[in-house]
Amino acid sequence: MTGVAEAQAQAEPLARRGARLRNWSANNQFVGVLGLLVCLFVAFSFIEPRFFSAANMRVMLTGVGILWMISLGLTVVMLTGGFDLSLGSMLGLSGFVFVGFYVKLGLPALLALVLTVIVGAILGGAINGFLIGKVGLPFLVVTIGTLSLFQGITFLVSNGQTTSLTSSLLDTIGFGTKLGVPVTVWIMIGTLIVMMFVLRRTYFGRDVYATGGNPKAARLAGVNVTRTLIAAYAIAGGLVALAGVLQNAFISAASPAGGGTIIFDATAAVLLGGTVLGGGVGGVGGTVVGVLFLGVLQNGLSLAGLASAWQQVISGVIVILAVLSQQLQRQRRRA
Amino acid sequence: MFAASTSPAQASARTTLSSPVSDSLLSATGVHKRFGGVHALRGVDLTIRRGEVHSLVGANGSGKSTLLNILSGQVSPDAGTITFDGAEIRLGDTARALAAGIATVTQETTLVPELSVAENILLGPRKVRRWSGIDWRATRRRALETWELLGAEYSVDDQVSDLPPDQQQLVEIARAISMNARLLLLDEPTSSLTETEVESLFELVRSLKSRGLTTIFVSHRMNELFALADRITILRDGRTVEAGEIADYDAERIIERMVGGVPTAAAAGGVASAADEAAPVLRVRNLSVPGHVRDASLAVAAGQSVGLAGLTGSGRAELLDAVFGVRRPDGGTVELDGVELRPGQISESIGRGLAYVPGDRKNAGLVLGMTVTENLMMATTSGSLRLSSPARTRERVEARTLAREFGIVAASPDVACATLSGGNQQKVVLAKWMCSSPRILLLDEPTRGVDIGAKREIYRLLAEARARGIGILVSSSETEELLALCDRILVMFRGEIVASLDTAEATEADLAHFAMGGR
Repeated sequence: MTGVAEAQAQAEPLARRGARLRNWSANNQFVGVLGLLVCLFVAFSFIEPRFFSAANMRVMLTGVGILWMISLGLTVVMLTGGFDLSLGSMLGLSGFVFVGFYVKLGLPALLALVLTVIVGAILGGAINGFLIGKVGLPFLVVTIGTLSLFQGITFLVSNGQTTSLTSSLLDTIGFGTKLGVPVTVWIMIGTLIVMMFVLRRTYFGRDVYATGGNPKAARLAGVNVTRTLIAAYAIAGGLVALAGVLQNAFISAASPAGGGTIIFDATAAVLLGGTVLGGGVGGVGGTVVGVLFLGVLQNGLSLAGLASAWQQVISGVIVILAVLSQQLQRQRRRA
Repeated sequence: MFAASTSPAQASARTTLSSPVSDSLLSATGVHKRFGGVHALRGVDLTIRRGEVHSLVGANGSGKSTLLNILSGQVSPDAGTITFDGAEIRLGDTARALAAGIATVTQETTLVPELSVAENILLGPRKVRRWSGIDWRATRRRALETWELLGAEYSVDDQVSDLPPDQQQLVEIARAISMNARLLLLDEPTSSLTETEVESLFELVRSLKSRGLTTIFVSHRMNELFALADRITILRDGRTVEAGEIADYDAERIIERMVGGVPTAAAAGGVASAADEAAPVLRVRNLSVPGHVRDASLAVAAGQSVGLAGLTGSGRAELLDAVFGVRRPDGGTVELDGVELRPGQISESIGRGLAYVPGDRKNAGLVLGMTVTENLMMATTSGSLRLSSPARTRERVEARTLAREFGIVAASPDVACATLSGGNQQKVVLAKWMCSSPRILLLDEPTRGVDIGAKREIYRLLAEARARGIGILVSSSETEELLALCDRILVMFRGEIVASLDTAEATEADLAHFAMGGR
């Protein structure tokens, strides 16, 4: 910067803006997918008149609400270089945690919601986070274990039965609108803003990137890697618990079948969004682009009347191609 | 067992026993090797006689390891001839060296820990086969033949990971012998062994010698040379200085040839006198790290520079790790201004004024995906409240100032460190630690892998730091560097601080003397 600094002083504003832009696109590798998303959006709008309507947009956005929350949580975990397979089964369990607080204990719905999120964070942090961050077990082993553990507990507490729920709060969350926008979408946006702030504007966020980028260097620089890992899995747990309540709201019930294979969609969304397996690179901004991409694709294809088997084939191929193109981009940048 | 007794080349060699050529198994003449701009070997001559234990002796950078790598086929020489068993051979890959009968046992184990001893001895395609696959019974029998020969305590069926280090080494030796090796290269085989294990290894080498095996043995420990070697070859700066019978040498003469100077009176300097100095900032008392450091005590005063000398594996790096708190000691204390530091509480240690520039800066220095600013501020802010926000504008200004001060060339403070050149990354590591305003700076191998310009820059920065009253504890394998940088040098040997020398009186020969286990 010394020798360059003087020369830069004159050309500062433009050059710096150029450098910043380049830097931004290097750090935000989802730009390619963003372009693809726009193309897909425009294409569907032309092919299918019902696609670009307010009603369909509402359906599409609320439809990805659960995936959105889970993907945000998974992003934080993946940024630390880890992974959490148990998020899917934690989704089902959280639905019944809410039932426990709301139905069994008769607590107010809002309090039950907050407590559910706290329980989710504790499950994620105290079990997954502790075993991975403090004890040092491999994340795949731990979360395969908790995947089965949470699923088992869900069936035990539910007896395999769906519990129906009625609550004005759940109705508002699931079906209400504010300013013409579904409340679900407001919650999604709010969560995104909070997560963006935490990851990009706090020391904790830097710890997350440092832990995933180079845990050795981070530790030597005084970053508490253990605490960061525990917190990351706790955040994922909390967000998934929120998604669990959202799911309750959508179906006005808690179902032990909730969860399923959503973790794979979430993984696809996070990878599409430019967060890499191994950690340190990416962010929640990219993840929501990935989530919207998957949402638009599914919504558009089913409006076009394509059989769901074909939808799966097409999404699979596109996800692989998109991640492949990112990989190539990265290699080119390195060369 | 040994191919030497049956090979036709050997038989013809025996008939001409009277000629001087015949009793040398291997001879190398005029060997040169360059690595980029580094001229590692500048004409090495080496003669190994049949059935002897020959030691290669030399300081760091003398070209010893390059020579070994050439003999084991890992590196091919640029010039020079190598004759093995009367015929000129071209090495250049390990398979060819093995086929010729040269086997290497290095410090790093090449064993597969999950497999049994027998499978490791006959690793890879060398298992006994029959039409239906591997004949495990015959394989085991063949491994057993070699294994029993070595007088090992463990069974060939034991898993290698269950064996102690000396027994694992035995497996490597057994593998070499089972491949009909006639020349065994032992590269610092004793560095991870206890005294009794060393003794039994020596017993083994002697008994192999009596069966006709020739051994090249590398060790930095003086007493081991005298205990085992028949002859030695001394290297300095990539050249052979001289070779001769060990009986003609004493420790002083070996060191003199190695470094080109004689140990002086300073070598008589006592231990731990540094710890008695008045009002030190850093005081380490009886610090021990299991397997690496024993009972180390030292003190560093404000503006003082203390060096840690010693061979690789003597515990220097581990001692620094333990002082900083990244490695848990099993005894002893670290005090800063009289207040004890808690091991493992790194951000607290940083907050108190400790900074650590690690030796492995490429892997442990920076988070390459993060920006220059973020890396520069990482240590300083490691004690801040985690959910508070960094003042990013101020940080950027600070980063620019640091960049100017340390001569870091980067397009902007917001680019990822991965975009910087290696030398600039090194400077970012240093700047990161200097801006945490430390009172004590710990450095491990501060100039390893940097070019001469960056080296000079680092020396200048360290001198400035001292002038500002920062105490320095630096570990280095380059003795010249320590002599230039430090007021006092502590020499470590096998995990213990064995000498404390005043730099004004000490010489390279003195450091070598203590580092190699002299008293």
